Amino acid sequence: MWFPRVARRIRGDERELRRVRRVRLAIPAAVGACALVTAAPALGGPEARHGQVWFVRDGEPVAVSRTAPAMPGLLRALLAGPTRAERAKGLRSAIPAGTDVRELTIARRIVTVDLGGRFVSGRDEASLTTRIGQLVRTFRAVPGVVGVRIRVEGGIPVGLFPGYNLRRTIRAPLASQSAPSLRDTQQLLADLGFMAQTGVTGRPGDETSVAVLAFEKWTGMPRDGVLGADVLEALSRATRPEPTRHAPGKRVELLLDRQLAVAIVNDRVERVFHISSGSGGRTPSGSFRVYRKERLSWSVPFSVWMPWASYFTGGIAFHEYSYVPAYPASHGCVRMMARDAPLMYAFATTGTPVDVIRGRV
Amino acid sequence: MRRRRLRRVRNRRAVLAIAVCAIAAAPLAAQAAQSPTPPGAAPPSPPASLVVALGLRDPSLDAGVVRGGEVVLARGFEVELARLLARRLGARVERLVELRPAVRLIAGGASSWQLALAGIEPSPQARAAGVLSDPYLPSDAAVVLRRHLPRPRSIADLRGHLLCALRGSDEARAIATVVRPKAAPLLATGLDRLREQLRTGACDVALVPVVDTGRFLRGHGSQLGPAAGRIPSGRGFVVAVGRGGGLDVAAVNAALQRMRNDGTLGRLARTWLGLDPATLRILR
Repeated sequence: MWFPRVARRIRGDERELRRVRRVRLAIPAAVGACALVTAAPALGGPEARHGQVWFVRDGEPVAVSRTAPAMPGLLRALLAGPTRAERAKGLRSAIPAGTDVRELTIARRIVTVDLGGRFVSGRDEASLTTRIGQLVRTFRAVPGVVGVRIRVEGGIPVGLFPGYNLRRTIRAPLASQSAPSLRDTQQLLADLGFMAQTGVTGRPGDETSVAVLAFEKWTGMPRDGVLGADVLEALSRATRPEPTRHAPGKRVELLLDRQLAVAIVNDRVERVFHISSGSGGRTPSGSFRVYRKERLSWSVPFSVWMPWASYFTGGIAFHEYSYVPAYPASHGCVRMMARDAPLMYAFATTGTPVDVIRGRV
Repeated sequence: MRRRRLRRVRNRRAVLAIAVCAIAAAPLAAQAAQSPTPPGAAPPSPPASLVVALGLRDPSLDAGVVRGGEVVLARGFEVELARLLARRLGARVERLVELRPAVRLIAGGASSWQLALAGIEPSPQARAAGVLSDPYLPSDAAVVLRRHLPRPRSIADLRGHLLCALRGSDEARAIATVVRPKAAPLLATGLDRLREQLRTGACDVALVPVVDTGRFLRGHGSQLGPAAGRIPSGRGFVVAVGRGGGLDVAAVNAALQRMRNDGTLGRLARTWLGLDPATLRILR
């Protein structure tokens, strides 16, 4: 009795399995068909369409619209370079004039372009790198294209374009050198001594803003702590700060006009700290030495705790404070950020010279 | 069954015979490869056309377009040197081929090229593949200073400074073993990063491969100090002369020496590398 029922169930299961298999096969086929339908006109359709070709302005990539019948037309537009009007606006092409196209093929959403030998002419590394970037950006802007293979005179250029391995498919151009990443900028600030190496995280934050503020104070820029184009431009030219005075050993220079404390070892600036000194000239200038250190000091006249205090004259000390503005705001002490105060406490050991300098010598 | 077993035995015998022949012939082949000219016999006349192998590493030394193993549109210091060397040897470069990667050099046996200029430094592996010439470029460490730093007169003058080099490079090893500075050096991951460290003053002195020094300084001369000298490594880039190619390494060495004496090598280095390493003072 049970056997025919089981057999029916098995037959039913097999039918179900076949149905599932059919559906499984049908889904990728449908997806593939959709991809073909959407990609085909983008890759080589005969109708006129708008595309982007990439040129450069001051080393920065710039996209320009072009109407081209298909991808070969777009490539021709790229190789032709910017128009007279675009040139007047500062657009340039790193691709040598007269570069010819030997072949252009598209397979599996990867464009293979074979160019004439003129494409590799010249020895300027920046120009060579830029021309690959122009090609890759132009093709990658076409919907459906995922990579570009570049060939020259039917062969693979090797070692000619620094930074690119053209034996492989190029999926993205190299990052533009003139637009550094946040991590690069933080590294630059650390190299210059305005922040600790541990602050190089690639993430924005308070530590970066304070480092930028210290840099702005050093260079005499408006003190806003914002990483703007003017700061980036100044950073690209900046060198590590030099001590105001010259003396061997470990010491601190307190620059009242710039509101900075500079930690120096053997005439080499180790770190530059953003500080806020006494308002109305209440921090005395002169040469002193750290004479007392208290991990947590109590200010009797102002009834306030001062963590990481290093006294260098009378009741004047470097110490941590919750509010460190970009101008002199204290009663005479040197306020420091919570992150910086322990570093200064460790650096300025008892006996460390402290030169308080009112104006730049 | 019996026939199949017989066939299997025959096959085994054949394989054994081939193996025995190969083992017996190996020393003879090696001997032939090691001594292209039997003693006492007149050296063969040099070939009129040469096949030169290149490493294709960077646009300054050698680069080009590889088409079916052959290199076209080749350029760089080593390409020019190969052409001039061939001319001095009374030949011409017929073909440039790619030696990829450089470890192919260690494969041994008769070479498909007569000369290889691929940034080869003398090593047992390189010697196994070809006869090595005298160096045409030193692989020393150039000493590049940050701006406003006084020129060092000796290696001892560098000890008090903060040094930097590429991580894992020969220059980093030179800092540890030759310079031995007081402070730990900064190690950069790339030449651009190294340049940035020197420009900003994060380090005082950068040790850079001497062949890269021109590229390191090019376009940044106003932001960096000068190349103040070089720390000798005792090694250099050499030409590998392929075994059985009909070329005599003594002739190659003589041609290189003539090129060094008449300033050809220096001119090539200035053109392609941006700096003639021989002009840098040796620091000891």
